[in-house]
Amino acid sequence: MEKFHSESIGATNVENLQFNVPIRRMRRTLLGTVPVESPLYSFHPVTRFFSLILLGVAPLFIDTPELNVLWIMLILLLMIYGRVDMSRLKIYVPLIFTVALFMFSIAILLPGEDPTYIPFKFMGITIYYQRIFWALVSYVRVMALLFGSIQYFLTNRETDMLVSLQTLKVPFPVTYFVGLSIRGADMFMQDMKTIREAERARGLDEGSLAFKDRAKLYAMYMIPLFTLAIRRADEIGNALFVRGYTFAGEVLGGGKRTSTVMNLYQFKVRDTFLCALQVGLFVTMAILQLKFSQFRIDHSPLNAYFLSILT
Amino acid sequence: MVTKMTTQQEGAVWELKEGEIRQPGIVHVVMTALFTGVGIVVGALGSLSVPLGFISAFWPGQAIQAVGSIWYGMWGGIAAAVFPLIANSLSAAAPLPVSIAYMPGNFAQGIIGGWAFRFFKADPSLKTSKSWLVFTFGAIIVPNIIGGAWGSTVLRMFGLITPAAHLVTFAGWVVGNSVASWVLGAILLRFVSPLVIRTKAFCKKYWA
Repeated sequence: MEKFHSESIGATNVENLQFNVPIRRMRRTLLGTVPVESPLYSFHPVTRFFSLILLGVAPLFIDTPELNVLWIMLILLLMIYGRVDMSRLKIYVPLIFTVALFMFSIAILLPGEDPTYIPFKFMGITIYYQRIFWALVSYVRVMALLFGSIQYFLTNRETDMLVSLQTLKVPFPVTYFVGLSIRGADMFMQDMKTIREAERARGLDEGSLAFKDRAKLYAMYMIPLFTLAIRRADEIGNALFVRGYTFAGEVLGGGKRTSTVMNLYQFKVRDTFLCALQVGLFVTMAILQLKFSQFRIDHSPLNAYFLSILT
Repeated sequence: MVTKMTTQQEGAVWELKEGEIRQPGIVHVVMTALFTGVGIVVGALGSLSVPLGFISAFWPGQAIQAVGSIWYGMWGGIAAAVFPLIANSLSAAAPLPVSIAYMPGNFAQGIIGGWAFRFFKADPSLKTSKSWLVFTFGAIIVPNIIGGAWGSTVLRMFGLITPAAHLVTFAGWVVGNSVASWVLGAILLRFVSPLVIRTKAFCKKYWA
């Protein structure tokens, strides 16, 4: 298997020389890894960025919980199509449960007062139907919004985000800022890992520490971490200065700034079509809800069913 | 350890020395970006640590907001407004539209501390009792009250909490932010400020 110098596009490649077994090449994204051969990478980063706007914002216009459940299923199917490592989603399981617990508890314990609320008893507790159904509507909508963002960060890298912003003609200082922020987060995590490994190499056994001591230890990690970040900022600032970059991102002496990363991606006809489709869908959904109220709770079959039982 | 300093000595860190010229430069943009990166990690980890629905019982990210603004003025305020957007998306603590609506509150959570330290000429290294008071009230309690009021109102406007739950959510926000941020912020200011003050990125005014 040929050696692949992968740092420029962030792919990782592990050779198994002993067994000559083909290893799947993975590309590191903002949240996890995606195979290099993922079909999602055949689309331009701008197309994928528009999916963040559509999938991560459009559920705001939908009140009917059935539609938002379908929306979530669509997002999950998209992740499966993109060959995302679905086990990465398990870090969100506690959050999914706590949000549900929080929202439904609030709806039951602090429903507020409204004479139009329909009360019913469940296990001896008086629950108001409109409040609990609205909690369901809000919960499903929040999950749809969250999964919309998660799918983007699970399938895209910092480079993809930068290319999409540059393609959309966002000013260079902003795109540079976004790219460096995300890169800075990654560097911070790597530094933290290095410091912890150095402590372990010096004989520290974190597992034997009491919770209070461990909390103190983690807090004190901030000192070397911030010292490294500050030093790095100085080095990067000096590096940009000697390369002639100005505050506004222009090149000293004029001329066009080269961007080799933009040449890695081609905007195809189907990208134009998909971007137009996504924008059109977003606008249509906004108009259908804001002007014609097509996604209101009244149109929910589930709502109609529950009301028929209670009234 | 609190030492006796005169008011003049304490406030000297904010005064420009004779002949000193400070201007915004690319190092400030870089520092803001890196601080945003730090905030993304701290914020995301805080949100994932003890989630209570839309608020976290432990969110030390506000320390990054306050400390960033104390050291870097408006640049820290920009980082304070921007990093929760990405941190919330990565940790799924809040949907993107809600995070965008949070931005003014997050900006306030950062910049108020920076303003308080400059207005009261408090020492960023927390060497005096006055600076500790300004830090506790001006950089932690008051900003979190304002941020909590804004954030809980945003949650209510999006229909994610009932009006009856507004006060409980507000209280949880303030307590969850304040306790964690006071501890982390104190460590950062006490031990890292002496280094930061010597760098050219440190802002004596708001932009340089």
